[in-house]
Amino acid sequence: MGDLGLIINLNLLRATLRMSTPIALAAMGLVITEQAAITNIGIEGIMLIGAFVAVAVSYFTGSWVLGILSSVAAGVVVALFMAVIHLKFKADVFVAGIAINLFAIEFTRFLLRNIFNTAGSFYDPNIVPIPSITIPIIDKIPVLGTLLSGFKLTDYLGIILVFVTYFILYKTVWGLRIRFVGIHPLSAETGGVHVNIKKYQAMILSGIFGGLAGAHLSLGYTRQFIENMTNGRGFIGVAAMYFGGVTPINTWFASLFFGFTEALGNNLQTFGLPSQFMLMIPYIATVVAITIGMIRKQKREKNNLL
Amino acid sequence: MRKIFSVLLVLALFVGVFSLNVMAQNSDMRVALVLSGFLGDQSFNDSSYEGLKRAQEEYGFELKVLESGVSSEWEQNLIAMASAGYDLVVANTTQFQQIVKNNAPMFPDTKFALIDGVVDLPNVVSAVFAQNEGSFLAGAAAAMFTQHDEIEGVNKDKIIGWVGGMDIPVLHDFLVGYKQGAKYIDPETKVLVSFAGTFNDPVKGKELTLSQYDQGADIVMNVASGTGNGILEAANETPHYAIGVDMNQDGIYPGAILTSMLKRMDQATYLIAKSVAEGNYEGGRTIKMDLSNGGVSLTDMSVMQEALGDKFPEEILTRIQELTEKVKNGEIEVDSYEGFQRN
Repeated sequence: MGDLGLIINLNLLRATLRMSTPIALAAMGLVITEQAAITNIGIEGIMLIGAFVAVAVSYFTGSWVLGILSSVAAGVVVALFMAVIHLKFKADVFVAGIAINLFAIEFTRFLLRNIFNTAGSFYDPNIVPIPSITIPIIDKIPVLGTLLSGFKLTDYLGIILVFVTYFILYKTVWGLRIRFVGIHPLSAETGGVHVNIKKYQAMILSGIFGGLAGAHLSLGYTRQFIENMTNGRGFIGVAAMYFGGVTPINTWFASLFFGFTEALGNNLQTFGLPSQFMLMIPYIATVVAITIGMIRKQKREKNNLL
Repeated sequence: MRKIFSVLLVLALFVGVFSLNVMAQNSDMRVALVLSGFLGDQSFNDSSYEGLKRAQEEYGFELKVLESGVSSEWEQNLIAMASAGYDLVVANTTQFQQIVKNNAPMFPDTKFALIDGVVDLPNVVSAVFAQNEGSFLAGAAAAMFTQHDEIEGVNKDKIIGWVGGMDIPVLHDFLVGYKQGAKYIDPETKVLVSFAGTFNDPVKGKELTLSQYDQGADIVMNVASGTGNGILEAANETPHYAIGVDMNQDGIYPGAILTSMLKRMDQATYLIAKSVAEGNYEGGRTIKMDLSNGGVSLTDMSVMQEALGDKFPEEILTRIQELTEKVKNGEIEVDSYEGFQRN
């Protein structure tokens, strides 16, 4: 029992939430675009650029709020750029996404060298991080305090945004139209919905989410920028989105699942199990999850056609 | 179409040539540093670069750095520099061992240096480090530190931690020494071990470190380059501690980092570049950097001393001094990882 307690405990759940936030934020942006029939794999690159901008702005202005805002703005610019390529110039969005991802790695490296005269990584005491939130009363309650209090502001924001995304997609006219555009663009157009405008708007939202995810990674989760620091978390977000059946709440659970597998792998490795296998866990989980997600997607598409 | 193609070609050329390029006038000697990673790791790569820069200041040669995190590009970069006629091509890290072995014979006029690995060829100088000896001291320091539960953030358990980047032989050489040092101080010391599987994911490094703290470790050694930045950050954000690696990382988060195990790549690259500049480069030999010649060592812990004030356990310093002497004169023989070819 003593050993099991080392692996499965409250801190495992805390780590799960911490690790799921960047995935969930990216995945929410993906859910919105996927509902509008755009698979925005460029989210990985948007996150990376966002992470850089957040650190740079926080460093120069001393304000994490401005850091987040600029990161979101940068995310929107990149997402809009992708949207123009895809919607106006009819490029395959998948190819555009890959281009953005490759561009983001080299572009942030270029900026790192030219703005900060360093390569590889940048951290500095002047970078002001996103604060942790201690919830006043709950903090004092033994179990709840550990589970709920002391996370970064963006961790909480991430959870709230899951429900906001749900509300937008399922409780607003705008959400209805977005889903309409995704399911059957022709009838949407016939019904008087501007398909492209809706798609642009969906891309803007995914840029906001991608920027937030990036800012959280570099200003919340850690307080530094490292080249390619997203390390595939945007892609895991794509997996979470499919696994969650392209609905916000289920996608959030999928993100938590991925966070959990990584946290569990970490604890098991620390406990003494071979690192090679423990490091595999999140990726095996991803493969399994994406397979399940794809099967469900096919079923859904079949239903849509009927 | 052809126009676009030619523009693209020109762009590709520019991108290809883009890299750190420092020119110096008073010598036509040219030195290239080829990395299996990036500068800015505050660690291995930066240290090697620093040594070359120091030599550059003295002898004034052209210095070019090629960075790449993609393993398939490492060999291309090395060949490109050798073909371009660079006088000295420094291949940084053990991951270049096979690459240098395969390619050095094809460029007999080029002088090669391999840092952290051995290739026995007439135009290669190898530098190897006794990281096991340095880690031995780090493990001993950690094992002593974890017993001082009067210090904030140190618990009663005799558990210390170790987080590495990729699971490669040279890191195991660190680990063997670390464990031996810890056991030498107290056989009951338990060492938690994790690998991040990557050298550039600080988030992963941070989580692994938090997991180790959670399982009772109060001090964790970083052997993870860029991933290690997250390890140090974890130490800074919790009441617990870390040990730095390669370069002096004590001052990054004063009071959170007990000491750093220095691996003087800079000394090795400096000496090799110097030998080329002065015309006494001698291929086929291996420079051994260990405790006795200052190639590896611990920092003086002065940053931690200042942070802890009276609470700093002075005995750690005296014991480390003692152990250093014992390792130097052979009284203590530090094991090395059998899978790591030092000779």
